[in-house]
Amino acid sequence: MNTDAEIVERSRYGPAAFGELYDRHGPDIYRYAARRAGDFVAEDVMAETFLIAFEGRFDFVGSTGAVRPWLFGIATNLLRRHHRAEERVLRALVKLGGRVEDPDFLGAVDERLDAPGNQARIARALQGLPAIDRDAILLLAWADLSYEDIATATAVPLGTVRSRINRARRKLRVNLTLSDQEDDHGRSAVAPRNA
Amino acid sequence: MDDLQLLRATRNDIGTIPAATLARGRERLMRASHSDPAPHQFEDVFQDEGVFGVSHDASRRSRSVRFRRGFAVAAAAAVILTGALVAADVVLPDRRPISAAAAVLEDAAAATVRTSDPVVLPGQYLEIETRALYGASSPGEGLTWDVVQADELYIPADPHEEWIWNRQAPVPTESAPEIVKEAARLQPTVDPATYAALTGVFRAPGGAFGNGEQYTIIGEPLTEADNLARDPKALLDRIYEHTEGAGKTPDLEAFETIVESLRTGIIPADLRAAFYGAAALIPGVDIMDSQATIDGRTGVAIGIAPPEGGSRQDIIIDPTSGLVIGEQIVMLKDYPGAPAGTVESWTSVQTSVVDSAP
Repeated sequence: MNTDAEIVERSRYGPAAFGELYDRHGPDIYRYAARRAGDFVAEDVMAETFLIAFEGRFDFVGSTGAVRPWLFGIATNLLRRHHRAEERVLRALVKLGGRVEDPDFLGAVDERLDAPGNQARIARALQGLPAIDRDAILLLAWADLSYEDIATATAVPLGTVRSRINRARRKLRVNLTLSDQEDDHGRSAVAPRNA
Repeated sequence: MDDLQLLRATRNDIGTIPAATLARGRERLMRASHSDPAPHQFEDVFQDEGVFGVSHDASRRSRSVRFRRGFAVAAAAAVILTGALVAADVVLPDRRPISAAAAVLEDAAAATVRTSDPVVLPGQYLEIETRALYGASSPGEGLTWDVVQADELYIPADPHEEWIWNRQAPVPTESAPEIVKEAARLQPTVDPATYAALTGVFRAPGGAFGNGEQYTIIGEPLTEADNLARDPKALLDRIYEHTEGAGKTPDLEAFETIVESLRTGIIPADLRAAFYGAAALIPGVDIMDSQATIDGRTGVAIGIAPPEGGSRQDIIIDPTSGLVIGEQIVMLKDYPGAPAGTVESWTSVQTSVVDSAP
């Protein structure tokens, strides 16, 4: 079986080999992009990611382990062009959190009750993060990249990744504990759930 | 459930690719592979507008672009290394500082070596108290405010044993909107689950909290810190090597790496002195404020000006004790509600030996 790096190498002489790389990683790139910016954008980001990677295949030098971060790095930068779509997704999630108040939802199990509330909280917290920190934390949480992979994907040192993620998590914690309360201030949704 | 777990659980059910979409994408790729266009899109894609001016523009340069320009990069690296070599030749043999910042850093290094590290006996802990002030916001409401968050990390005499981390709840500052303060007060009773997940005492063998990540210093695990060079020039070379290709400039990135390492509060004295020496060798590192006050303590703020504004990160050192007392991020441009010169955030660090941990 060919490793990712071998496929890239092979694609320099036989372009069709790049299709194999697409088959391996396309679905994951799509999923990451869809979670961030929705399905419509995800299709575009995924396709563009591989077109750009294909064009850059002569320049890629790295181990097999660097191929996936390379692709996610391209996708992450492409997502910057779609920040409005991401904002829309996050805003929708914040609204979705309001459904906890919907009586129909009250019959559901606790986990399901928790999920929309958490999504709203998380979405609100993500809205407040600087783009570089948001990229780092979402590559960790939603793309399942390691710290080293994120360093490769975003072309910064490991220490910088670490501090970006630390900073993002710190701000997430603050916004998780405060903003949602502020939003729910005066409403009854949260209190009875935990009473 | 901690913040990362909450995040992982969010939208976990989203994003399975429909077969037709997968097929369309493959077709586009295959069409392109037949026409095999020349590379042209990288520059555009990797351009970065930047947020708060944090140094990362050039760091977005792709791996591909970097390798395409292999010769140019190698030449630039040679220039950097030569530069460092020349600076070292000038500075080190006669110990004559080339700038005021270098003098402060050399004093701090000397003081650090004089005052040896506190000894942590079996049963005792190295306690690192961190207090941070930073901004929080609620974009939906258009509110921003500052919070202060304190935590204490307890590292046992044998760092492989259990570390203890006491995380306190963030507290809005006096100037925060009343609704925010009220929410903070109500948090423990209104949403105890979230509150408990994010605050309180956490324990982890070897300091691998949460996601299993441990501290590293320039990529080395803390337990391997002994392997790092104590010679400032050699240490700086190692830093440049570690950060190659990242950051707005190699010098900014090297300085940031030093700040990140010192911020941990766990750098042994001899290595800390070497970091000061290495910082003194970075071109452009200078005194930004000789009387910087951080959390009630005063020291010298040392930083490096980024090429095009944004914000600047300073490290604050007490040159007489050789201790890092904290760091600050200063805005260099006017932002809404925060004119240039505003300290956007700061972190103070204090280290001591204690007999017990929570």
